[in-house]
Amino acid sequence: MPPVASRIEHVMGIPVGIDVRDEIARDAVDRAFAHLRWVDATFSTYRRDSAISRGERSPAVAGVLERCERLGAETGGWFDVRATGRLDPSGFVKGWALDGAAAILAGAGARNLCLHAGGDVLVRGERAPGRAWRVGIQHPLRRDRLAAVLGARDLAVATSGAYERGQHIVDPHTGKPPVGVLSVTVAGPDLGTADAYATAAFAMGVDGPAWTAGLHGYDALTILADGRVLSTPGISQLRAASTGLSNSSRTASM
Amino acid sequence: MSLLRRAVPAAVATAAVVALLANVRSRPPDLSAKPVVSDVPEPRRVSARPATVAGRVRTGTGQIITTPFSVIQVRVTFTGKQLTRVETVELSGNGPRTQAINAHAEPILREEALEAGSAKIDVVSGATYTSESYRDSLQSAIDAARG
Repeated sequence: MPPVASRIEHVMGIPVGIDVRDEIARDAVDRAFAHLRWVDATFSTYRRDSAISRGERSPAVAGVLERCERLGAETGGWFDVRATGRLDPSGFVKGWALDGAAAILAGAGARNLCLHAGGDVLVRGERAPGRAWRVGIQHPLRRDRLAAVLGARDLAVATSGAYERGQHIVDPHTGKPPVGVLSVTVAGPDLGTADAYATAAFAMGVDGPAWTAGLHGYDALTILADGRVLSTPGISQLRAASTGLSNSSRTASM
Repeated sequence: MSLLRRAVPAAVATAAVVALLANVRSRPPDLSAKPVVSDVPEPRRVSARPATVAGRVRTGTGQIITTPFSVIQVRVTFTGKQLTRVETVELSGNGPRTQAINAHAEPILREEALEAGSAKIDVVSGATYTSESYRDSLQSAIDAARG
């Protein structure tokens, strides 16, 4: 089933793709992108005129910072919006922005859609009747290859790694990049949360996989520097779903 | 922790401990490692839920494992026959740290080797790429193919 509405725009310094497989109101995709531009204007730490750069604390900013505080507590301090020394909630905001865009599209009647933003993925429904969305996990060392493929319905997938923008994630306790881990992919219902969990687990280095095994409702796949791939049990079911072998199976934790 | 410490140190279900270690370690245990550290620190994060089954609580501590990145020790807790808690105590790095995780599902972590594959996919999840690096990404190839 081809996309009914498909568009790429560059927002927040990253390319954002929206692919909707249902007939929806013509302006719904416009409104979804308008939402992303509003998030950028409000939360971008690269823009000196953004609300967050100006120190403004509107209800929206306060709400996001509160979510970040909670995620900080949930991750034992490993997700830290001040890890780099200045306030930077981008680790949550990008995913949260896409969650909002998906809600706008869903409100307009989209039940089957796929959004991506600079490596973050959010899918709802199916790519075609009876067919799950196929979400590739980028191979951390080979740009043209995949490390895994997940079959996804109603799933958010976020990956943190050191291979794209250099070492931009640091251990908030030491201020140094983690060692021993190439990438962490987290999959679950909410993209903002998946993003924060992936950032936290990556910062934990080789301790990340054990921490992800204790998450509720979220699964994780960690690629270690020694070439080992450690994943929580739900990942196996998602991988099986990508081949159509278990078309209707869902991970138990979701 | 204090409850665990007071728990009767019964005989460990050795097979289960070995199976767990197989999930964690990357190479055979370093037999030259120093003896077990007896004073285990408080977990920095405890996510274990109360056991859903009744039964005697038993704990067992595995061998010290040396990985390329750390020296760790795994401790498991059984409630009756159910594995209810796993703690990974890191003995190196920035001082001892303990990780406690749930163990209601077995195995807790599946391990496999990293392989490079390709497949027909709709979208790629990867570490953040910027607008500048987008054209080099797998995602841009997919988007171009979609037209």
